Amino acid sequence: MFRQYVLFVVACLFHVSLFGQEKVSISGYVKDASSGEILIGATIQAKESNRTVRTNSYGFFSLELDNKETTLLISYVGYQPIEESINTDEQKRFNFELTSIGREIEEVVISGKKQNKNVTSPQMGAFNFTIEEIKNVPVIFGERDILKTIQMLPGVGKGGEGSSSFFVRGGGGDQNLILLDEATVYNASHLLGFFSTFNSDAIKDVELFKGGIPAQYGGRISSVMDIHMIDGNNKNFAAEGGIGLIASRLKLEGPIQKDKSSFMISGRRTYADLFLKASSDQTVKDSKLYFYDLNAKLNYRINDKNTIYASGYFGKDDLGYGDLFSFDWGNATATVRWNHILNEKLFSNTSLIYSDFTYNVNVNNDNSEFVIASKIENFNLKQDFSYYANNKSTWRFGLNALKQKISPASLNANANSAVNSINIEKRHGIELAAYLSHEWNPTYWFSVLYGMRATDFMVQGPGTFYEFDRDGEAISSEKYTSSEIVKHHFNIEPRLSASFILDDKQSIKTSYNRIVQNLHQLTNTTSSLPTDQYVLSSINIKPQYADQVALGYFRNFANNTYEFSVESFYKYMGNQIDFRNGADLQANEFLEGELLFGQGRAYGLELYLRKTKGKFNGWISYTLGKSERQFEQINNGDWFNARQDRTHDVSIVGIYQLSNKWNVGANFVYYTGNAITFPSGKYTVDGRTSFYYTERNGYRMPDYHRLDLSANYDPSPKNKRFASSWSFGLYNVYNRKNAYIIDFRENENNANITEAYKIALFGIIPSVTWNFKF
Amino acid sequence: MRFYYLYTVLFCMLFASCEELIDVNLNEANPRYVIEGDLSDLTSEQIIKVSQTVAFNAPVRNKPIDNAIVRVMNDKGEVYTFNSIGDGAYSASFKPKDKTRYNLSVTIGDEVFESSSYMNPYIDVDSLGIIEDVIFSDTVYSVTLKFVDPKDQPNYYKYNISVNGKDFIFSRVFSDKFNDGLYVTHQISDNRNDILIGDTVVVRRQIIDKPVFTYWNDVLSINPGSAAPANPTSNISNGALGYFSVSSAKKYGFRIKFK
Repeated sequence: MFRQYVLFVVACLFHVSLFGQEKVSISGYVKDASSGEILIGATIQAKESNRTVRTNSYGFFSLELDNKETTLLISYVGYQPIEESINTDEQKRFNFELTSIGREIEEVVISGKKQNKNVTSPQMGAFNFTIEEIKNVPVIFGERDILKTIQMLPGVGKGGEGSSSFFVRGGGGDQNLILLDEATVYNASHLLGFFSTFNSDAIKDVELFKGGIPAQYGGRISSVMDIHMIDGNNKNFAAEGGIGLIASRLKLEGPIQKDKSSFMISGRRTYADLFLKASSDQTVKDSKLYFYDLNAKLNYRINDKNTIYASGYFGKDDLGYGDLFSFDWGNATATVRWNHILNEKLFSNTSLIYSDFTYNVNVNNDNSEFVIASKIENFNLKQDFSYYANNKSTWRFGLNALKQKISPASLNANANSAVNSINIEKRHGIELAAYLSHEWNPTYWFSVLYGMRATDFMVQGPGTFYEFDRDGEAISSEKYTSSEIVKHHFNIEPRLSASFILDDKQSIKTSYNRIVQNLHQLTNTTSSLPTDQYVLSSINIKPQYADQVALGYFRNFANNTYEFSVESFYKYMGNQIDFRNGADLQANEFLEGELLFGQGRAYGLELYLRKTKGKFNGWISYTLGKSERQFEQINNGDWFNARQDRTHDVSIVGIYQLSNKWNVGANFVYYTGNAITFPSGKYTVDGRTSFYYTERNGYRMPDYHRLDLSANYDPSPKNKRFASSWSFGLYNVYNRKNAYIIDFRENENNANITEAYKIALFGIIPSVTWNFKF
Repeated sequence: MRFYYLYTVLFCMLFASCEELIDVNLNEANPRYVIEGDLSDLTSEQIIKVSQTVAFNAPVRNKPIDNAIVRVMNDKGEVYTFNSIGDGAYSASFKPKDKTRYNLSVTIGDEVFESSSYMNPYIDVDSLGIIEDVIFSDTVYSVTLKFVDPKDQPNYYKYNISVNGKDFIFSRVFSDKFNDGLYVTHQISDNRNDILIGDTVVVRRQIIDKPVFTYWNDVLSINPGSAAPANPTSNISNGALGYFSVSSAKKYGFRIKFK
């Protein structure tokens, strides 16, 4: 199998050397003029021939020229476009720099026609935002949060208050692949979900795929969220910071060697726990409640053909009560990348990636002292090639070896503790993958992106593997040594997206993808917790997979000022996981016996209208959807609504530039309450009222809705070094008490009466921010 | 261009989580039978209760069933017939013996419900104690029982608590999963009310079998954050709710005094 891919790669390389010289090709990078940051997705258009290409996620482009003398138009959203006349008859490298429009509000008229990528590109079910584009969207506590903004797009279900997880097209919260500079982030939330792990100071942009996922991605069946960190200013030193009541931030960036290498380091820490220090109680004084994030990146341009990037993230949440109890968790990632331009048409990226997620619990009371520790980690080696065969055809292919290791929660107690140490076996797996994809625009009206990913997940020893009967009791066990492969899970994942362009303004697109997932998160609470257990595919757990088809209509209005799309999808999910009643998921060597396996389906319709230019911009998104699951041993084997099944989901975001100094923003969200299990009766056991449950997720939480407002005031004159501005925010303006939990209990005074009550987390929350820069 | 940012945030937060009573429209389900048998060697009169579920908003807690035929038989063939004493309760006079299996049969009309429970021998307590905890300026108490857990066999413990002479209510169950064979401390408190200075506390400790542990552990695992609350796993056949347990048990008294 892999031999064929290697042969293919070699064939492509030969192809380059044999046929690469026919026409003149140019290549290079597009960058921000002030900071040297590479720009992802910038357009390079040859005016005479109307050929257009875009920069890839490393800012690289390759363009084949029809004539050696031509004028190029280079443009990027939020930047002043430039025209460059070039005259070359040889392969040459060009680097272009664009200047940010900044806060000028006069509309920039971009000549040329290619502002309609959303219509013409074969990709569907995808969104791309730069951090600049979302900075005026109102958010909780005034902290810009890319994860919360993503949740206002069609087909992306909000996790709700107190949750950073999101649900794409009816999928689960653990079925989203979240990448930070290509490294997997296992847990994207801080403070149990109130903040995401992505400090917006350090983020350049984000891309979300919810369908038609390209073949270079794999490993999660619902979506891919690909986040890029900024590289660091390689022209000038710059510092940026913030001091707030909740958190402080500081970012430093600058050149190491001007135009050649740069660094960026960004940190953030909350300090709500400092208030605990004011307490007179010594235990409270010694308590902890904070999180911090650290992002860092270095890049070094060795020469015209080689660039090296090193980036990392480290974050931790720490909760503690005196020295009696402490609980901390966090992610760490590290990525080293080498971009190499083999020639004008062939771009290579080699990445070596590590990421992990750990949590630790320390208990230290009178008779028991112990530590619970859990870790999940992966090493990933990726080789990607982009081959720009000609302006109609781009090939992407690559290989990927991913080593995963799970150390489930183990308990370490000291000798005279009242608990025994428990060591649950580690689990190992290696996933080998190869992919090939081809983006092809044979004619003006048709373009297609198709490809294939092949994965072989190898369940590795050492370890004891059990088989279970129908009731989850272990019936046999087998020991494997570290050199043995316990099982291969081999899968082929075809991917296809195609667009039929009706005219400049409208197109019809369709896509199909199959994706396989070998890492599974076991959550048996309504909000996912850091202590959730992860498992790999094994002899009992088959890889989850999803087959998704989608069909959409895309249309732009008024010279691409408005983008409109309607997409419908159907998704089938195989080998889904749930649990037996009262399943014991902690420190259980027979854990797999507690699992139940079933299937899922989701379908829906998504409408999206966005205004991209002018004084007023924003979007409206609406999703009509259904998501269901079926397990033989749950709900009598009948289909039931998934918890995140939302019939209606609406988001409206609007930002208006009132004047040179003021802009205002508003967003409104509404969605059908989650499906939930409520009792349908009651009875008494042991003198207590107990509740009688009949149907899984047969009820609904109340509908969720909320309005937020924001205003920014920037009075500073232009061209002055010192500038200051104000941001005002109002979260949940009409103080809606959205239910976080609904529970049932006996009435305090009369045990014969039972009552329902709800807990709401946030009422109205105003925030004020003062910014200044010089 | 050179920027030095200084960025100050002022939050005026009304961060108050709030709780309020609401009306929820719940369906009415077909009633199911509930059987509750907690037999032990503490007394020589054993009680088994039979009832039915009622609608959530019914003005009563359950519907007692008085026309059942309730029998318990041990593995030596001795049969104990329980007689209805009203309000869904049935009684029989005998004291169960440890290392014996007891089988339950309840017949209601033409439906038969069966279960079985093994009575494990008692595990003696070595010492008793009282623990004082200060949780943010409040001083609360709990009681402790220390004992040696028998090694290399699974053991399950259930505790009920009575404070100041009130009815016994369920407190905790424990297994020896994490402390098999060790000198173990079980800490018991009242789930609903804090134990305070001057209180009289009685703890009932039962050595139960695994299905009964599973039942009570399920009860404890259902909390407002459960993704999918379900009925606790019953050890009674034919879809009845509730449990049947035969255990060896003892009571321990405590008085919370000033030191």
